[in-house]
Amino acid sequence: MKYEQWKGFKEGDYQNKIDVRDFINLNYTPYEGDKSFLAGPTERTKKVMEKVNDLLKKELDKGGVLDVDTEHVSGLLAYEAGYIDKDLDIIVGFQTDEPLKRGVNPFGGMRMARQSCEAYGYKLSDKIEENFKYSTTHNDGVYSVYTDEMRAARKAAILTGLPDAYGRGRIIGDYRRVALYGVDYLIEQKLADKKRYGQNDMSEDNIRTLEELHQQIQALKDLKGMALKYGYDISQPAANAKEAIQWLYFGYLAAIKEQNGAAMSLGRTSTFLDIYIQRDLDRGTLTEEQAQELMDDFVIKLRLSRQLRTPEYNELFGGDPTWTTESVGGMGLDGRTLVTKNSYRMLNTLYTLGCAPEPNLTILWSDKLPENFKKFCAQVSIDTDSIQYENDDLMRPIYGDDYAIACCVSAMKVGKQMQFFGARCNLAKLLLVTLNGGMDEYSGLQVAPKGKKFEGKLDYDEVMAAFNEYSKWMCRLYINTLNVIHRMHDKYAYEKIQMALHDTEVHRFMACGVAGLSVIADSLSAIKYAEVTPVYGDNGLICDFDIKGDFPKYGNDDDRVDSIAVSVLENFNKELKNTPAYRGAEQTLSALTITSNVVYGKKTGSTPDGRKKGEPFAPGANPLHGRETSGALASLNSVAKLQYNCCRDGISNTFSILPNALGDTKDKRISNLADMLGGYFKEGGHHLNVNVLDRAKLVEAMENPAKYPNITIRVSGYAVNFHKLSKDQQLEVLKRTYHGEL
Amino acid sequence: MNYKARIDSVYNGSAVDGKGLRCVVFFTGCNMRCGFCHNPETWTEMGNETDLSDLVRKIKRYKNYIKNGGVTLSGGEPFLQAEFCAALVNALHVEGINSIIETNGLIADEALIEACDGIRLDVKNQDGRVDKRVYDFLDKCEELGKEVTLTNVLVPALNDTPLKLNIIKDIKNRYSCIKELKLLAFRKLCTSKYERLGIPFPYEKYEEGGKKDLDKAYAFLQE
Repeated sequence: MKYEQWKGFKEGDYQNKIDVRDFINLNYTPYEGDKSFLAGPTERTKKVMEKVNDLLKKELDKGGVLDVDTEHVSGLLAYEAGYIDKDLDIIVGFQTDEPLKRGVNPFGGMRMARQSCEAYGYKLSDKIEENFKYSTTHNDGVYSVYTDEMRAARKAAILTGLPDAYGRGRIIGDYRRVALYGVDYLIEQKLADKKRYGQNDMSEDNIRTLEELHQQIQALKDLKGMALKYGYDISQPAANAKEAIQWLYFGYLAAIKEQNGAAMSLGRTSTFLDIYIQRDLDRGTLTEEQAQELMDDFVIKLRLSRQLRTPEYNELFGGDPTWTTESVGGMGLDGRTLVTKNSYRMLNTLYTLGCAPEPNLTILWSDKLPENFKKFCAQVSIDTDSIQYENDDLMRPIYGDDYAIACCVSAMKVGKQMQFFGARCNLAKLLLVTLNGGMDEYSGLQVAPKGKKFEGKLDYDEVMAAFNEYSKWMCRLYINTLNVIHRMHDKYAYEKIQMALHDTEVHRFMACGVAGLSVIADSLSAIKYAEVTPVYGDNGLICDFDIKGDFPKYGNDDDRVDSIAVSVLENFNKELKNTPAYRGAEQTLSALTITSNVVYGKKTGSTPDGRKKGEPFAPGANPLHGRETSGALASLNSVAKLQYNCCRDGISNTFSILPNALGDTKDKRISNLADMLGGYFKEGGHHLNVNVLDRAKLVEAMENPAKYPNITIRVSGYAVNFHKLSKDQQLEVLKRTYHGEL
Repeated sequence: MNYKARIDSVYNGSAVDGKGLRCVVFFTGCNMRCGFCHNPETWTEMGNETDLSDLVRKIKRYKNYIKNGGVTLSGGEPFLQAEFCAALVNALHVEGINSIIETNGLIADEALIEACDGIRLDVKNQDGRVDKRVYDFLDKCEELGKEVTLTNVLVPALNDTPLKLNIIKDIKNRYSCIKELKLLAFRKLCTSKYERLGIPFPYEKYEEGGKKDLDKAYAFLQE
């Protein structure tokens, strides 16, 4: 098979089967040079950005939601074409017929859809209410099966943030396939798969796959229809850079019209697109200014992606995020860098368009990255505060060189692996349940099997033995709960277009997580090295702990406590694998909380480490604020000890620093930050959010948002606009350790 | 030989105590009592007795970060424990780690000056005179060709006068081993440390310095 549109590309296997990696590998141009080739924004881009900023201001003034279409159910063909300015837009497409107008997606659950509308002064139309009376949503399905035990664990917030009432997300369609092959070929391939599966015995699994293939094919047809509304026929491959970006974006747009998943990540697209841009530059049909302009217009569209959610959901995740994560850089398996000029252009949008939290730009860091690129990334961090870093040297051996990050830290091979998002288990709470003999310290309800109530000075070995027993119980319940959720999500809110952009035989992860890692590590350390005695309240439950003596605290590169954190993760991960996961999924674990560490803290009583009832946890795998006293690098080293091998869904670490603490000149700051990143990843660290900001600036911004309308900060795993955080979260960000020296 | 020293703490990851990222070892014991001192907890020789091999092992944990920086020996006054410091510097050299020393310049220990990779000498001109031993120290650095960064804590209305700044200027002009002059603004972030230790903060009454004060002093020094 050969397309006219492929002229100028090297031939290879990708021409006979779907293999985007092969196409990239054969055709991309590594770039080791510096940023000097980059162009600034064009007059057109500036004009569009004025309109965009105006829209964003209106959205903020209206309380966070500009408009809602309550008449239609969001879908690929539900709305007419929408533009910022039809004459100015280069890359086109919005989720509804107007920018920032949000669509309604009731497939996750009707209640959530209804409440989201009402929270912003809208009412779901009678038509939608009527229609969904006769259909089952994902939420209905889950609750028809949930056991009492599952409900209790969920209600007590030992299991938290479960995707049982909203879209699970964290699935990355290989949107590049739309550009490289055109939709007709993708349909052909899926039809062939369907024929093949039709030969199998009709087991329940096989029937489900056949039905899904049918849905995927329909979704691909709808994708073509959606593009036609914008005047594009995308049945054939893209013929140039502009088309490649447009085709790819249509694929992504279809996904965010169809699904309101928590994280709708983009994948790894910059280097793929560079091949098209470079071909046009070589042909003389595109200039560098135009190349940047194309990327700028693409990124503007990504920045305006919105989902309709309840204010409670925002309280949990903070800042109306979409996690449009784009993975940039990394190294190829053959030793060439995957950094291209378009990696620079993607980062350059933070200058041409101003900084912004989305898309969630994620640098795949390798020790072998070109030094110029490392420096450029460090500079972008210092200037814009808007990128995060993950360790390519850790992930490449496992996922190869065509993986991407979903959400914040979840790696998967693009188009070949997907995950069932499983939120997290509150470990601090689990410890309290253990000590209370299976009772929830808030409600007094027996939420776990009855056990011994701990009284008097706590004995480490005894506590550990009991905690391990409760972990066993928890892990089985956790996996079983997720099995229910994902069976129902597949059944009632299947990701048709995203899965159409995957291989039919896909590897699945069951992505579990833990919250409160530093609290559990410090608590167990306190029990081991100090004297900790539970204090009982009138209700017969532990209300506090009496702590005598000092104990090693996580975050100081002290093996005595760091090893506890390491083994807690190891044990939990091992235990998860003892219960079979839905569809043969591979159980994985993450240490990641978004801003939700604040909410989880609110729901957890006082802990043996001295943290008081209701106080926030540290985010992700971070040490608790104020407990790191040995310097920033010691804190990084503690987190770097956590083993990626038993935490394959990611280990999130957030690092805040004042600019002058990184050095007294810009050059020194860049070089010191690059050294810090390099050191952390060489130590085996997985992920680092870098916040380089002035505390005074942040305080001022809290009091006077208008003065700093665009402060982006990184909160474990993603960037967020500071002003979209709740007051509590803003205070928490302020309180969090500012490594004064570094 | 098993060297031991008394140190207060090690801070891993400073970007403001010399070139690049550095680990800073704070030795205890000091032969001065500067009114602006932000580490009064290191004045006495209390602190933790530390084994040389332990300290080197701890610092080695940061090799991946400090390749363009190194270790800064600070305090307190490191030259009070010169023998240990020289052993430390030599042990770090074996690991390929660079070390510089912060000092008040009262003890010109030749072996230590020779061993280290640079000196940060803080000139105390706040009282209008500089101890003669500081000149001996700088003579030694000059003789050994040891690179020196001169630092000086600028306290507004105390040592930002032409008279006192001229002391700095003279020293800077006299020695070719002084490669850089760095003024540090007086800050009072250490107030709570004095409160905790129950000792008066001698410079309580002075105002903190800012960028404006530094700019003005730099301008004068460059005239």
